Amino acid sequence: MVRGAGRGGRGMPGRGGMGRPPFNRPRVLMLRPPFDLILAEPAFPRCKPAPDDSALTQALLKRHAELCPTPAEQSAVLSLVTKLQTVLDNLVVAPGDFAACQLEEVRQVGSYKKGTMMAGKNVADIVVIMKTLPTKEAVEGLSNKVNEELNKLMRAEGAGSVSCGCHERGFTVTSSGAASAAVRVLVTTLHQNLRKLEPEVHLDYKVISSHLAAIRHSRWFEENAHHSSIKVLIRLLRDMCARHSGLEPLTPWMIDLLAHHCIMNNPARQALPINVAFRRALSLVAGGLFLPGCAGLPDPCEAAHARAHTALDLAAQDAAAATAQTLLRVVARGGHRYVLGLQAFEGGKDISTEITVWDGVVVSPLAPAYQETPEPMDTDDKDDEGVQDGVAA
Amino acid sequence: MMAANNYFGFTHGGTQYGAATAGAAYGGQTGYAVAPAATAATYGTQRAAATGYDTAYQAAAATQDVYAAAAHAHAHAAVAAASAYDASKSAYYQQAAAAYPAAAPPQPQPTYDAAAAKPAYSTPATYTQGGARAGGGAKAYGGVYTHTHSHTATTAAASYPAQPYTAPAAQPPKQSANRGNTAYDTALYNAATMYVAQQNKTGGGGGWKNYNKGGVGAGQQRRPKPPPKAQQLHYCDVCRISCAGPQTYKEHLEGQKHKKKEAAVKLAAAGGGAGGAGGGGGAGRAGGGAALRCELCDVTCTGADAYAAHVRGIKHQKVVKLHTMLGKPIPSTEPTKLGGAKKTVAGTPKIAFVASGGLSTVASTSTKEQKPPQGDKDKEGDEKEDEGETEPEVQPVGQDYIEEIRGDDGKALSFNCKLCDCKFNDPNAKEMHMKGRRHRLQYKKKVQPDLEVKVKPSMHQRKLAEAKAQRLLVRDEIWARRRMHEQGMEEEERGYWEGGMEPWWPRGPLPPHHHHHHHGMGVPYGPVGRRPETSDDRHVVAKHAEIYPPEQQLQDIQRVVSHTEKALKSLSDALADHARPKAQAGNKAQNDKKDDKPEGKEDGRDNQLFSFVGEGEAAAGGAEGAAAAAAGAGTAGTAGTAGTAAAAGGPRALKGVMRVGLLAKGLLLRGDRDVRLVVLCHDRPTVTLLKRVATDLPAHLAKVKAPGDDTKYKVELLPAEGAVQVSDGSINVLVSLTSAVMREPAEGGDIKRDDKDVLPRQKCLDALAALRHAKWFQARAASLQSCVIIIRIMRDLCRRIPNWTPLNPYAMELLVSGVMQSAGAALSPGEALRRVMEAVGGGLLLDHGPGLRDPCEKELVDALGNLPPQKREDLTASAQQFLRQIAFRQIHKVLDMEPLPKLKHATGGWKFPRKRRRSNTDTEGDQPNGEGKVVKTEEKMDASENSAKK
Repeated sequence: MVRGAGRGGRGMPGRGGMGRPPFNRPRVLMLRPPFDLILAEPAFPRCKPAPDDSALTQALLKRHAELCPTPAEQSAVLSLVTKLQTVLDNLVVAPGDFAACQLEEVRQVGSYKKGTMMAGKNVADIVVIMKTLPTKEAVEGLSNKVNEELNKLMRAEGAGSVSCGCHERGFTVTSSGAASAAVRVLVTTLHQNLRKLEPEVHLDYKVISSHLAAIRHSRWFEENAHHSSIKVLIRLLRDMCARHSGLEPLTPWMIDLLAHHCIMNNPARQALPINVAFRRALSLVAGGLFLPGCAGLPDPCEAAHARAHTALDLAAQDAAAATAQTLLRVVARGGHRYVLGLQAFEGGKDISTEITVWDGVVVSPLAPAYQETPEPMDTDDKDDEGVQDGVAA
Repeated sequence: MMAANNYFGFTHGGTQYGAATAGAAYGGQTGYAVAPAATAATYGTQRAAATGYDTAYQAAAATQDVYAAAAHAHAHAAVAAASAYDASKSAYYQQAAAAYPAAAPPQPQPTYDAAAAKPAYSTPATYTQGGARAGGGAKAYGGVYTHTHSHTATTAAASYPAQPYTAPAAQPPKQSANRGNTAYDTALYNAATMYVAQQNKTGGGGGWKNYNKGGVGAGQQRRPKPPPKAQQLHYCDVCRISCAGPQTYKEHLEGQKHKKKEAAVKLAAAGGGAGGAGGGGGAGRAGGGAALRCELCDVTCTGADAYAAHVRGIKHQKVVKLHTMLGKPIPSTEPTKLGGAKKTVAGTPKIAFVASGGLSTVASTSTKEQKPPQGDKDKEGDEKEDEGETEPEVQPVGQDYIEEIRGDDGKALSFNCKLCDCKFNDPNAKEMHMKGRRHRLQYKKKVQPDLEVKVKPSMHQRKLAEAKAQRLLVRDEIWARRRMHEQGMEEEERGYWEGGMEPWWPRGPLPPHHHHHHHGMGVPYGPVGRRPETSDDRHVVAKHAEIYPPEQQLQDIQRVVSHTEKALKSLSDALADHARPKAQAGNKAQNDKKDDKPEGKEDGRDNQLFSFVGEGEAAAGGAEGAAAAAAGAGTAGTAGTAGTAAAAGGPRALKGVMRVGLLAKGLLLRGDRDVRLVVLCHDRPTVTLLKRVATDLPAHLAKVKAPGDDTKYKVELLPAEGAVQVSDGSINVLVSLTSAVMREPAEGGDIKRDDKDVLPRQKCLDALAALRHAKWFQARAASLQSCVIIIRIMRDLCRRIPNWTPLNPYAMELLVSGVMQSAGAALSPGEALRRVMEAVGGGLLLDHGPGLRDPCEKELVDALGNLPPQKREDLTASAQQFLRQIAFRQIHKVLDMEPLPKLKHATGGWKFPRKRRRSNTDTEGDQPNGEGKVVKTEEKMDASENSAKK
């Protein structure tokens, strides 16, 4: 009788005997989203008064004010971007004798475009789509041309000078004005050219496709994540991630998606208050949002079944979860000032790796669960096309 | 000099020719007679029919009284012989007749010169003077018989197919074979025929002149004379080399290189012959583009620059020198253009005929002069086409990719093309390289994909492309099959780490034959059929089987509990009889009768309230039942009061018994020996009543025992607990007494009287709560999939791990059921456990969390109570660690068990042999994502499997 109760509900009435799915499809593992308290609200109604969270809210807003770029920075980067855009647009429309490459399109992307720039990191991003293939020489040629044109423009305005430096993603234009600003020109090529890339001759395939992805990301962001709460949360999370080693591998794109999810994805579809959303973000990552076997956050800019966090390797996934877990408990004990960076923890130590005591409660970091193993593994032979395009920007 | 050359060249060729052709050549009409007889449907066949060169020649010679040079005459003769009866003859005649006289007189001689100037050319060449490229016989055998053809062509505006009259004079049989292979295009053939016919008709007009002139020349040439001494030099026409002596010459002729070349030439001839039907050998050679040929060296150059370089080159100079030495005619340095096949009227590749440069100036001019009168539209069109075809000057590309390697003095020493990975020392070579096809292809491939490059589909490339397509096809097939067959764990594992199947698999249209495998299909059905068991599931289920109580233990518990319940009922009856012996006598009889009925409820086996109240008492006891039910639902209050009031007449003291706790919820684990029963009393249970129960119960227990049962029951009185404990030595049954009225405020008037005697209130309330919890559990939690399993697992966890011990069982049940409920769908055991850990790890139980609301209380009560912060912290930290361990395939650590071996799928069908990729393992550190990740995940899984096998 006890057994009967225990077994209830496991049978499949009406399908008995039909062990196989209707289609001869290899069974699909359906990944679940993680436990999310905001969405599980009906199952866990609040039965005690909500704690006073104004301290956290104040701290969040204060920190955000610190993270916002100053007007001087903003105008510096704005003017540089505008000029650069002019120069590049001219090259698109009328290349003239410029033959190093042909430009298809120029787009602003990244934090500048999204309005999530951080103070002290005055770097905007522009993606240049080439019609020709992005060889290193083409990038160099473009860089020289841009440098020349831009300096011409700057001289005409008497606005200082710029310098260009090439790197593996394209080149960076740095202005040496009063407030320094920089624009990273990220080079990519048309989608149909991706197959033709060769590692020795061209820029790296992953880099190229990530730049294409960056364009998609910017577009998605523009359409879906324009709420300013999201931008506030993005700044806070990016800052937090930058200061804790375990969370560092999270890409800006993952943070964007996470912030959007935390603010907007709730039953009411209204933006959540910043403190709730901040706790939710920590709680989700701590609850394994970015762990293997979890549905995580679906990437809206990739084909179906892509999860944003699979761009992290397993050790990084483990570390990110472990760090968030520790931070979650620190914040729960009232340590948000350290987590947010309003206060340096014991001379700049990473609080997520230290044992801390709060009112007699000991909060300790966790050991990693992921283990490297020396054992060689079986792997299926896979050919050159293993890499998908647009591995998050 | 010019003439000398001509004659010399001719004689040279002619000699060899003559030797083979025999003296009968011009003998008489036989040839002519024979030829028509041999006429077959097509020229090709006729030729193939091995009329033989000689025959043809004879025929030609014989027929061509009218015409000039023996050689060309022969060609025409052959043609004429083949199609003497052509229907369109007359039509043509008019035109040709009109055109010819103007053109003919001056022509033969000059052209003859030109032709004669040419040594035997083995490959097609174009006639530089425009339309005359049609000069059919370009293959001037011995340079003899072509010129008329050029003339003919002009007239007919048609061209001869590539005429491989190439075979060296030394090998006449071969030559004839070549000729035999040649298939003239019908159009040409007709045209030529007509021309001949026309010539015939014209009789002694211009034709005679020609004949005479040509004839003289021809006669001279034909005169068989031994080669001059100077010609001891042995020259191979095919290979264009000279040999030092007869011995070497012979060796050369037998050599592989020569044979190869010869075969190639023949093949080209055959191709030219087949050109009538399909493409042409010449066209194949020339590709679509306008290639330039050096006639002398038989070298095709892809562009003007290449040609210029060739002419400057040492090889060319060598050949020129040789030819000069041999006294062979040297064609102009003007390149021969190899046009596309479309220039030919009938689509046949044409023979190119070059008026040889310096030597043929007269010829070319005269030809030009002749042209206008005959230059009909076709010609002009052709000419234009010609111009159109000349490749527009190619712009050099990719200057940026050529680096100069400078010497110490800063002078450019050499150049290195980074695109093509080649070096050159000469600026000219660099220029040419930049215009070259290979470079342009590289540039197209690596820099500018839309650059136009003329493709030259060589056989080799085509084969490569085909092979590649084939490989792709095979690979697709393999992948498709693999997708079909690879099931179960493989898919699951990959999905687990990678999310979806796709990251592995090149995205894009699936091969059509498994479109029905589309992902989306399964989704609307929810979990289709039985869900796959993941490794987590198997571990949880295995662990569950381990902690699940054995059958014997369950039976023991069942027996003891059943006996206790029956004894309690019996006791209740006795008490009731005792309390109202007279009034309720009838009732007792009724009760006894009921008890005997087999279908009557004998104990609390169904985990519901086992009411002691018989049916006869229903009227009176109905209210009590209601009261009990009300208490069970957590709403005991007014209803309970009402029930008590209504039943005030004569209720039983003990109304019923119910299983609560582990027993009722089915949460017993292996080794559990303590179970609980709750007896509902009519009124506040008193110590007196408890004592009474304790003393009477053993007797009733003995009564309900089965006859053969010799179990000794021990009954203990536990007044502090408000309970008695029945024990058979191994199983302990705690029987608590409680009553719904205990919930009422104690200060309620008359009830106060025997307060001292009443059992401890809290214990009674706990017992009531236990009743409600059991009912809640049965109503809510038990119906959730995996819930009971997970609660059992969690009970085990709480027993094992100190951090979890503070979590009280009821709170744990609430937590698990809430987590299950919020999932919105059925969860497999593995998923369920993970989700519980996610919830706790995500901070659900932390101070700022919502708490666990107790659904069995009216007020907001947190089932967690006031769990101290440190305990909450420890619980959360532990859950977080567990969560990551589960995620990284270490669920066995969480469950404290041995890892299970990997499941082998019998249904997997054939599998791919998997390759080991040891070399990669050490470099993975610097491959954070992309390929490296897949490798790593797999490695990870294998690692867990390996540790599993230990």
